[in-house]
This record gives sequence, structure tokens and C-alpha cells, in this order.
Amino acid sequence: MTRTEYEFNVKRKDDGGKVSYSRYMVPKDRISTVLEGLIYITENLDQTLSVRYSCRMEICGSCGMEINGKPRMACSTIASKLGTDKIRVEPLKHYDVVKDLVVDIDPFFEKYREGLPYIIRSDDGNYASELKQTPEEFKEYEKYSMCIKCGLCLDACPIVGTDPDYIGPAAMAGVLRYNLDSRDQGSRYRLEIINGEEGTSRCHFVGECSEACPKGVDPSFAIQLLRSQGLKHELAKIFRRE
Amino acid sequence: MASKAGVLEWFKFRGKGIGYFGYAFQRLSGVVIVFYLYLHYIVLSNLLRGPVTYNDIVGSITYGPYDIFVAFDVLLALVIFYHGANGIRLALNEMGIGLKHNKLFFYLFEVVSMALLVVFLYYAWRFIAVG
Repeated sequence: MTRTEYEFNVKRKDDGGKVSYSRYMVPKDRISTVLEGLIYITENLDQTLSVRYSCRMEICGSCGMEINGKPRMACSTIASKLGTDKIRVEPLKHYDVVKDLVVDIDPFFEKYREGLPYIIRSDDGNYASELKQTPEEFKEYEKYSMCIKCGLCLDACPIVGTDPDYIGPAAMAGVLRYNLDSRDQGSRYRLEIINGEEGTSRCHFVGECSEACPKGVDPSFAIQLLRSQGLKHELAKIFRRE
Repeated sequence: MASKAGVLEWFKFRGKGIGYFGYAFQRLSGVVIVFYLYLHYIVLSNLLRGPVTYNDIVGSITYGPYDIFVAFDVLLALVIFYHGANGIRLALNEMGIGLKHNKLFFYLFEVVSMALLVVFLYYAWRFIAVG
């Protein structure tokens, strides 16, 4: 007999810090994605459930959570493709939980900012026209510019779990994105930041960040490329080439 | 990040990829190898008590009554071969070799290392059985 409802088991955390699981039955014909299921719950079954979401189309990066033990975007996770009627939903690991499925994402953005994710120029910035870039030059960093800052990679990374100071995959993918940009002249500043114990050296190439990334950014590969850039940077310093 | 998970999380493999398994067992095997190194030092330190004592101890853990240590040696060899092969893969990765075929490299290196382990165990068994 085919069940007509999904069984949602949602991890809750109340204001007092008490953790529990709430069970909700959601009709299959009313939802497509897990996020729609959670919205159905808040609108029809339990208004006290806290969920963060915005665009519902995997652009804003707000609805990252663990679904059946894996970090995923709730908006792009099709419930029927999970292969089970039981859907366990939990907040992202390695983040402080604010309430229920809402986590404090601030540390993620603080780390991201550490990587100087913007164009740095060594001139005065006054140009007669825009800085031009060929399609080939754009292709160099296009993949790494697709990051939506959802924070799933930090959930997936086991290093982040044991070393909270590790700058993490997203920030380093951001570093590579700007280092590969033909208009940028600030790669040496970024390499100074990510070369070392809490940067590229801390990555052990587990690859889970790339598995988790919903946009195919492949941060794990980016970190290995940064290691190569970092080595060249350090050698250049030794031989006074910069 | 503010929330720390602890090392036990490394061994929650459900839903994780082969890279996660490789990472966790690289750490576990590293600890086992370091433990064995100190155990080895303890056994070697018996040389200070003279050749007869040392030979008695080595004989007892190879031919009996404590020859269960041979089974531990087989497990140790398994761990060393695994750790070495995965270590070489990671060293190559750091030099930019095999990045795009990382999983294939993992399987390839581990299959080769396990084949070498079988060869090693054959010669080790012959050494113990034949002398």
C-alpha cells in the first residue's frame, strides 16, 4: 500500500536550549520539495516551527539544512526523490542553532570576508572606461563565482568540526575566484591570509565540501589549486621576485 | 565556527563519500602506527636485559605461547599498507597530480597496496613456517 503522507521528523531547539524531535504528517499531493513541506507545516500544522528561506529557487542560499543526514538546500530537494517517506530534517552542523532549523550564519560570512572577496587594484581606480575581460578570462573563474554562500560546505567538512578556526572551503573558493580574475591585482594579499595552518594546510582533501555544494563550485579542488599558488608565492618571496 | 563537533564525528560514515572514509581511516591508522612504534620500543628495550631474555620474548610472541601477536602484526601490516598508499595519493594531490580523478586514484592506490600486502603476507608466512 502506498502511503499518502510524508513523515517529517524535525529537530527542534527551543529558547531554553532544549532539543527534541517533532513529527508531522504532510500530504504528498500538497508538496514537491522539502522546503514546501516545511512551509506546509508552518502554515497548517505548527506555527512555532522556525525555518529560514527566501528565494525558493536555490539562489539565495538561505534554506541550507541536513535532510536525511546530508547537507542540502531544502528548496531544491525533491521529497519524492529521497527514496523514503520518512524525512528527517535537522539544522546545519558546526553552526550555533538560533532556533529549530535556523542557524547563526555570521561566522561563515566572517570567514568569507577574511579572504578579501573583492577586486583589488594597485592603481588609483580612475579609469576612462570599464576594465574589460574576454569570455576566456571569465571562464577561468566562472565556476568559483557560482557560490551562493549557503554554508553547506562548512557543514560537510569534518575539519571544521574539530577546528572551528579553520577558514573553510567557501572562503578559499572565494579566494581562488578573485585570484583567477584577470582584473584583480591582489592575489598576494589573499595568499598571505590563506597560506598556513588555518588555511590551505588544514585541508585534508576529504572532498565532502564538493559533494555537498549545490552549485558545483568544487571548493576542494579550488583549495588544491590554491596550494599550488601559495607555494609559488612563498618561493617568489624567498627569491625576491615580488 | 562556534559549534565544535569532536573527533567522533569523523567516524559517522552514513551518507558520506569515499573521501570521508579515506580521511577518517588515515587518522585512525596513523594513531595505530604511532602506538605500535612505542610498543616496538618497549620490546626492543628488553635488549638491555640481555640477548637470552630478548630472544625469549621475541620467540614467545612469534612461535608461542603469545603467538596471537602474529595476528596483530597482520593487522598492523594492513594498516601500514593502507596508510602508505593513501599518503602517497594525498602527496600527489598536493602537487596537483590526479586532482580531477581523485576517487579513481584512491581505489587504484588501495587495490595496489592490498595486492602488495598479500605478497608481503605470503613471504612473512613462509618466513615463520619454514624459517
